[in-house]
Amino acid sequence: MFSLALKEIHFFKLKYSLIGFILFLMASLVFIVSGLAQGLSNDNIAALEDMAATRFYLQEDAENRLDQSGYIIDELEEEIPRDTGWQPLLTQMYRLDAASSETLLDVTLIPIDPEAFLYPSVIEGEDLNDSDMLEIVVDRTMKADGVNIGDTLYEADQDLTFTVVGFTENQTYRHSPIIYIAETAFYNLDLTPHQVANAIVIEEVNEELQTDIHQTLNDGTWVEKDAIIQAVPGHSSEQMSLMMMIAFLIIIAVFVLAAFFYILTIQKLNQFGVLKAIGAKNLFLVGTTLLQVFCLTVISLILATAFTIFVSNILPEGMPFEFDLSLIASYSIMILIVSLLGSLLSSIRIVKVDPQQAMGRTE
Amino acid sequence: MIAPLVLENVTKAFKDGEQYINILQDISFTAEKGKFTAVIGPSGSGKSTFLSIAGALLTPDHGEVFVNSQSIASYKDKQLANVRLTSIGYIFQAANLVPYLKVNEQLKLVAQMKGNWDREAKQWLGQLLESVGLKARAEYYPHQLSGGEKQRVAIARAFMNNPEIILADEPTANLDQARSDEIVALIAREVKEKEKAAVMVTHDESLLKYCDSVYRMEQGKLIKGK
Ligand SMILES: Nc1ncnc2c1ncn2[C@@H]1O[C@H](COP(=O)(O)OP(=O)(O)O)[C@@H](O)[C@H]1O
Ligand SMILES: [Mg+2]
Repeated sequence: MFSLALKEIHFFKLKYSLIGFILFLMASLVFIVSGLAQGLSNDNIAALEDMAATRFYLQEDAENRLDQSGYIIDELEEEIPRDTGWQPLLTQMYRLDAASSETLLDVTLIPIDPEAFLYPSVIEGEDLNDSDMLEIVVDRTMKADGVNIGDTLYEADQDLTFTVVGFTENQTYRHSPIIYIAETAFYNLDLTPHQVANAIVIEEVNEELQTDIHQTLNDGTWVEKDAIIQAVPGHSSEQMSLMMMIAFLIIIAVFVLAAFFYILTIQKLNQFGVLKAIGAKNLFLVGTTLLQVFCLTVISLILATAFTIFVSNILPEGMPFEFDLSLIASYSIMILIVSLLGSLLSSIRIVKVDPQQAMGRTE
Repeated sequence: MIAPLVLENVTKAFKDGEQYINILQDISFTAEKGKFTAVIGPSGSGKSTFLSIAGALLTPDHGEVFVNSQSIASYKDKQLANVRLTSIGYIFQAANLVPYLKVNEQLKLVAQMKGNWDREAKQWLGQLLESVGLKARAEYYPHQLSGGEKQRVAIARAFMNNPEIILADEPTANLDQARSDEIVALIAREVKEKEKAAVMVTHDESLLKYCDSVYRMEQGKLIKGK
């Protein structure tokens, strides 16, 4: 069965490579779009996903959006010490000037206690110190803008000059890199007379602490991280439109593949009749056909994966594209199932072929 | 001695427009081992229908078909396929070879489908190719062969699983006279040598000299003699 299937593919190389090529294109498109979806998603919410926080306390009318919520936390700081397990989360949008870039760079500035759970360690350079120096660690995507360790970034409104000391990874939020600065340095700038935060976060669920914080701030609710992620502007709609594209691609693939395999089967009906006449069973013929489709699909999927890796390497640095092997594997399985189902459809024709037609009736 | 192929009171009708026409009417027939029988008759007289029923490709409306004294009347598709695979060898009008298989692979395929591809089968394959004169063509594809050569491959394929019965439906219709003689002589020789029960449908009366007996198909009946 296996050798028969392969011999036919080998003999009709051109025909089968064309079908394989179509399969390859479909699969590549699915993979690349899913890579983009993943990349965009990362660009928007990676920092939240990686954040070592499980619950966020936000104002009720903020609709789970960090930027819509805000607290003055002077009182909270006095009443409940941070070492009970909470941290303030403050995000500020800035536009910074880098010597290496012609345009201003949009960034999200987060003042942070470098000793606390919110702080992500650097993958390159040095970690932040709890000092009043204007040192920052930035997401490594800023390398694409030419930013290097030791460079300075300039903020024009307040006339601030930050020095990059290290790079973090996966620290992007709302399509911009996050730059972390020590809290001490931030408040030392006297930009605000109060301690402020968009949200209060805790590392682990702690009912008692949550109640205490709620009673102190008295305006807000605790929500889970996932709800915060879903509420990030653009995230749901971006993911939804890309998922729609993928879904349509797969639906189109179902029809194109089913049509291809059907035509292929129709072409061979006579031959199936002959094989049946000399004793081939339906199971054997259908099995051979499915095996061919299986081989073609697997080879095309492997090539499409290789092609996707290639594409992810030649894409410009700033392009949000994430090669995720487990995602590709799950789409591959889906495509494989789809093409096997498509060929199963034409197998009905194989079963129906009358072996008597091999006798060549005179009509 | 039991004949490998016996048809008893076989009737077959086909629908022609509104009414049924009896193509075969109450036909009884026996093919003996080592005997080469010819069936002649005008076009449309039902020769192919007769051969299809004899060859487990078509089930009769009435009557019985015995292959090696087993009645195949109640057989399911799968069992019929098995009968065709192991007990019957077909030679069709067109050689009907598998286009993407080499000559030796054509024979190997039927042995593999039967599940007995072993050293013995391999030797047997070599012998068969030798006896149909295609030893040198073993690695050729069908499109590289002439019409006569293709038909020789089909003959060898029919004998590959060593069936008791050989059925040929106008095996020379696509060949010229010299080639036709050659092919039928070859079938006759193989049938004698390997002691098969063979039936050939033809409308070329010059080929009857190779056969042991002749039947004529006429108005749904099978009549002995020219
Ligand atoms: N499957 C079928 N359905 C309807 N009519 C058929 C079928 N098979 C054969 N016939 C008819 O039966 C008659 C005999 O056909 P056939 O056995 O092929 O004749 P022959 O081989 O002697 O030329 C023809 O009239 C043919 O049209
Ligand atoms: Mg005929």
